[in-house]
Amino acid sequence: MSLTLVIGNKNYSSWSLRPWIAMTAAGIAFVERLVPFETPEFKREAGAAGKVPLLIDGAIRIWESLAILEYLAERHPQAGLWPADDAARAHARAIASEMHAGFSALRGHLPMNIARKVIVRPLAPQAAADVARIEAMWADCRARYGGPFLFGPKFCAADAMYAPVVSRFITYAVEVAPGTRAYMDALTALPAWRDWCAAAVAEPWLYAEDEIDWPQVHRA
Amino acid sequence: MALTLVIGNKNYSSWSLRPWIAMKANAIPFKEVLIPLYLPGSSEEILKHSPAGKVPILIDGDERVWESLAILEHLAERFPDAKLWPADRRARSHARSVSTEMHAGFVPLRNHCTMNLWLPPKARPMPPDVLANAARIEAIWADCRARFGQGGPFLFGATFGAADAMYAPVVARFHNYGLPASAKTRAYMDAVMALPAWREWYDAAMQETWVMQHNEPDWPLVRGKPVE
Repeated sequence: MSLTLVIGNKNYSSWSLRPWIAMTAAGIAFVERLVPFETPEFKREAGAAGKVPLLIDGAIRIWESLAILEYLAERHPQAGLWPADDAARAHARAIASEMHAGFSALRGHLPMNIARKVIVRPLAPQAAADVARIEAMWADCRARYGGPFLFGPKFCAADAMYAPVVSRFITYAVEVAPGTRAYMDALTALPAWRDWCAAAVAEPWLYAEDEIDWPQVHRA
Repeated sequence: MALTLVIGNKNYSSWSLRPWIAMKANAIPFKEVLIPLYLPGSSEEILKHSPAGKVPILIDGDERVWESLAILEHLAERFPDAKLWPADRRARSHARSVSTEMHAGFVPLRNHCTMNLWLPPKARPMPPDVLANAARIEAIWADCRARFGQGGPFLFGATFGAADAMYAPVVARFHNYGLPASAKTRAYMDAVMALPAWREWYDAAMQETWVMQHNEPDWPLVRGKPVE
């Protein structure tokens, strides 16, 4: 039985990017079903929780990006979505969960918008604190596990959870440490990343809520 | 190696309740370290245990696990016999979806109805977004109970599992803030609140003396009485 992943706009849907890039980078086959925000298809496909992404595996429907990643890790143990080492895996889950539930100031201040022209956005204090915490976390992981990804040479579920943060740092030209930049470079060199971004910039839809200068829209 | 769980105030710390009650209800032994929150030195004390600066924190040998959901995943792996996640793959995936939805969601409910176990239970006026959260939660519980709850009073049957633990503070909020609850919702709440682990946590909360004004909706009344 093949997997179907229901996602939102590639330009804006940060939650959709997470399982999509995890599956694509790990070579897990799936059918993509894109339903643009604010359309009848979105309402129909998004399920009871009203949200994307949604993973469909036969009769099983899983929502919430982190729950999808846990499901995929079980279904495809050879994909190594979580680190094999117990301590590293516990650490990966902690930072993945911290991302899943946290950093609301950063998320609100710097919405994912891949097609936006790169323009510096000064950080509000709470968003700056989120950036500092994220940089510290990435630096800690890369120092402990050797990089270039958070838990070593392999892109894993924790990296997938932070992939939209990398996009935000780029789009809003967030000032970062060289180590942070090296991590961002490793992530953006992935073919899966480039495929997602190429599709995102080709999308015609505009979503006012995530255009911070609306009704002005800046494109590269 | 014995486990240590670092938690905040039992009256207020909803995140702390989650792994605590999951472990207690499933007889996973641990040592408890309680750090009262928002007092001088609280943050420094928490940062000694975890760079995220948040409770709960599980200490397992050299490992430090933070975030209630990550702690539950860690415990589920370490104590497979506790069956914190349902054995059936479909039920398990559903349990993870609803647990994760709780972990990241229901912000209006969480902000407006902060957990406060000694708050005198009564219905309070609620804004529409809180009522929408409550309705979604009732629907989640009813759906889990109908599809997976045969064989017991909890969301996925006889075992009080990780999903129940994630929603335990929501049970407290429904109760103390008098949120509208159908008969089925009430039955589920009663099952959770009848757990010996729940009573133990609740009794300890009642003994606490730390008052957090911003979590007291009836201020200057606390526990139904004027603050002295």
